Amino acid sequence: MTKRITVILNNETRSLDVEPNDILLNVLRETLGVKSPKIGCERGDCGACTVLLDGKTVRTCLILAVEVDGHEITTLEGLSQSGLTPVQQSLLKHNSFQCGFCAPGMVLSATELLGKNPSPSQDEVKEAISGNLCRCTGYEPVIDAIVAVGKKAGKRV
Amino acid sequence: MSQPIDNLEEAVARLHVASKSSSAYESGPRKVVGKSAERLDAVEKATGETKYGQDLFDKKFLFAKVLRAAHPHAEILRIDTREAKKLPGVVAVITHSDVTGTNMHGLIRRDQEVLCSRKVRYLGDALAVVVAKTEEIAIEALGRIKVDYKPLPNILTMEDALKPDAPKIHTEGNVLGEKHLRRGDAPAAMREADVVVEDIIQTQTVDHAFLDLEAGRARYDGKMLTIEVAGQWLHEERRLIALAIGLPLEQLRLIQPATGGAFGGREDISIQIYLSLAALKLKGKTICLRYSRSESMVARHKRHPMRVHYKLGAKKDGTLVAAQVTFYVDKGAYASTGIAAMRKASSHATGPYKVPNVWADVIGVFTNNNPCGAMRGFGAVQTAIAYEGLMDRLAVKLGMDKAELRMKNLIHSGDAVTTGQIVPNATGVECFEAVLKKIDWKNRSYETAAPHLKRGYGVSVICFGLGYGDGFPDASRARCKLTADGMVEVYSSGIDVGQGLINMIAQIVAEEVGVPLERVRPILADTQLTPESGSTSATRQTYFTGSAVQLAASELKKQLQDIAAAHLEELVYEIKIDNGEAYNVFRPERRLTLRELAREGKRRGFSLEAMGVYKPPTVPEDTATGQSMRAFVTYLFGSHACQVLVDTETGEVKVERYIACHDVGKAINPDQVIGQIQGGVTQGIGMVLMEEVVMKDGKIMNPGFTDYILPTIRDVPEIECIVLENPDPGGPFGARGVGEPPLIACGPAVMSAIQDAIGKPIRILPATPERVWRTISEK
Repeated sequence: MTKRITVILNNETRSLDVEPNDILLNVLRETLGVKSPKIGCERGDCGACTVLLDGKTVRTCLILAVEVDGHEITTLEGLSQSGLTPVQQSLLKHNSFQCGFCAPGMVLSATELLGKNPSPSQDEVKEAISGNLCRCTGYEPVIDAIVAVGKKAGKRV
Repeated sequence: MSQPIDNLEEAVARLHVASKSSSAYESGPRKVVGKSAERLDAVEKATGETKYGQDLFDKKFLFAKVLRAAHPHAEILRIDTREAKKLPGVVAVITHSDVTGTNMHGLIRRDQEVLCSRKVRYLGDALAVVVAKTEEIAIEALGRIKVDYKPLPNILTMEDALKPDAPKIHTEGNVLGEKHLRRGDAPAAMREADVVVEDIIQTQTVDHAFLDLEAGRARYDGKMLTIEVAGQWLHEERRLIALAIGLPLEQLRLIQPATGGAFGGREDISIQIYLSLAALKLKGKTICLRYSRSESMVARHKRHPMRVHYKLGAKKDGTLVAAQVTFYVDKGAYASTGIAAMRKASSHATGPYKVPNVWADVIGVFTNNNPCGAMRGFGAVQTAIAYEGLMDRLAVKLGMDKAELRMKNLIHSGDAVTTGQIVPNATGVECFEAVLKKIDWKNRSYETAAPHLKRGYGVSVICFGLGYGDGFPDASRARCKLTADGMVEVYSSGIDVGQGLINMIAQIVAEEVGVPLERVRPILADTQLTPESGSTSATRQTYFTGSAVQLAASELKKQLQDIAAAHLEELVYEIKIDNGEAYNVFRPERRLTLRELAREGKRRGFSLEAMGVYKPPTVPEDTATGQSMRAFVTYLFGSHACQVLVDTETGEVKVERYIACHDVGKAINPDQVIGQIQGGVTQGIGMVLMEEVVMKDGKIMNPGFTDYILPTIRDVPEIECIVLENPDPGGPFGARGVGEPPLIACGPAVMSAIQDAIGKPIRILPATPERVWRTISEK
């Protein structure tokens, strides 16, 4: 019953056999060894398992591995390959994470937003992050950090 | 915040703080403490490299799963594991008969069986642990275990539990215990009061909802059983595991993986004992175990739902004269830390207000609901919602401004709280004044865009005794060491659950020794390496472990000064250590680096290591009266103000503005202090507006984040923080702590604002749109 799939994971082509009912999150973590997407709720509520699928954020706990055959996946392991990105740097500077468990999802949601909209408003940031739960902070330093990246980018233009 | 010394208390306070520092020439501004240094574990968190419990798994390990009870209350007649054991891939099935220790656990009273043998008391009770080659096989095997039960009547409410003929959940009955507080003659004073208000407030069951699910691994090599699971007090967990499984303490090693939040939810032991049993049975194998979100919610303890009957009496001018309070506390199935949470309720019954006559009674009642135990705020959260709620009702009845009523009755330095303990540095008034000024209380506007939208303003003032108190031994230990490569290592079993303990410790060491922050290497939470530092709870780590760390650092510094003095042939009291270099203050040209100090120290026979122990005593509360001259080591004060908008057609409450002020003594890292305040307020908003574990017939109806609603980025306003720094004599650099108070002060402030908006109090939490709408609609 296994099916062979090929994905481009963090710029690297990987082929592997998966069962038709294998959840992408589990395949990423257990078979492909990419641990930054986290298991938090297992049903799309918390956003901790977020990755970029062809540049768009998805919840990997809601996707079957067979669905991503031929697609491109980026996780934090790929995003940080050539050092911290501006959004990661800004999140650090703003003390945006406490326990850090939501960080992978937050970073990728922010990355997607800034890719589409280089200087988002506070409200646009809230909309982009509204699917990522954080139990430690009050979200404020996350908003500030992402808005600050946008402001910096705006100045450069 | 330097202020003129205007009383003896403060002068003594400064003296105590100063005595921890070892050099006579250290009066300059702080270099590391008080700075918002970047979190030392921040980069690995932002890049996703941090390894939490679930990240320690590998396919080559064995996987365990736990069988839970099928009834909330039943006798166990028979457990048949034969079919499960036959399933290919199953390695072991463990039940109570395999447990060689006491098979019991529980933080204060060991009343819970690890694997139940005769009886189950709630649906999270465990009966068996299956170990298999994969998690899927283990789950399948669970379904093959046959358990014969004799169901007993489910006791789901405190009323049912207290009926004289109620079936007994525990052999000793359905009452866990009682707490009593008697200060003055409250009934007599109440009779003479000009105005009396009375109400019943019911708080709900709340889940910690930390995102990082319980997960970890264990391995027994025949000599040492190593358990890597996030807890909140490794040394106590080690004691509990040792007793339960029958292995000597010396053969148990607990290591804390990175931890994604705790909030009291990791205080009761979770998967540690199951993993230990499996590892002990399968020597040489690594066993992994994780909970799903629903299992996590079903198994774990919760915040106590409390029903608080509160009667408050005052003179015509608003002066409080008496309070009579009865707390009914739903304990759920097991004791957990309930008796301590109950005592927190009685000892904080009137919060920061001066009430000469207080009678409080707390009764903890067993039911077949989830056990309740520690959660951020620990009994003080429910209590604050009650006393502040009654202050609002009193203000309405007196026709008095609710801020004025509070201000009139707040304790000042030198006044006593409910327990009779004199508080030398009571700063509730200062906090309250700060938030009233910020929100511009006198000029608050009730104007809204439409008639169905009503605005309201709420305030709260709280005090909170930190640490365990009540005479319970409460100690933190820490060790500092200078390594050959010139690093100052600090060892502590304090746990960074996300709050920022790692920086708190490192910044104190850097400041105290006189080295840059990057020269400090914290080594945390590994029972083999780090000394016991008590629990990471009760807002105690900064105060207790921070002090232990400062003492150890101070002792180490003395050694370094001795080394430098000997080597440079200078007087020791003229040796300064600054920016990682030792020199004579009057001849700063000749300097020794940390590496040189380490080399010289070793040559001269110095240990280059120092231990710090901090164990300030408290006095047990009298069992009949709850009075104690020192119920807690110190008190924290805070005050919140907020503005809400209620849609009277839908019952929705929007928090429009939020201001929080806390006196933290000294902010070791201001950004982290603000993070704690904002996070606490967010959890408080969640508790009063949306969060509720819905129990039906002993079953959690919403065991996941689809129906257990948590605040998102859309639900939280900007939280304006005011941090006051009145130094505490017992804390490191004057610091007190900040973990719990922001959550405690939030609930009552939001409830107060809703009452202001709709003109009626909400008596049952949470204030969901439906409940608010129904309250508005009631005639």
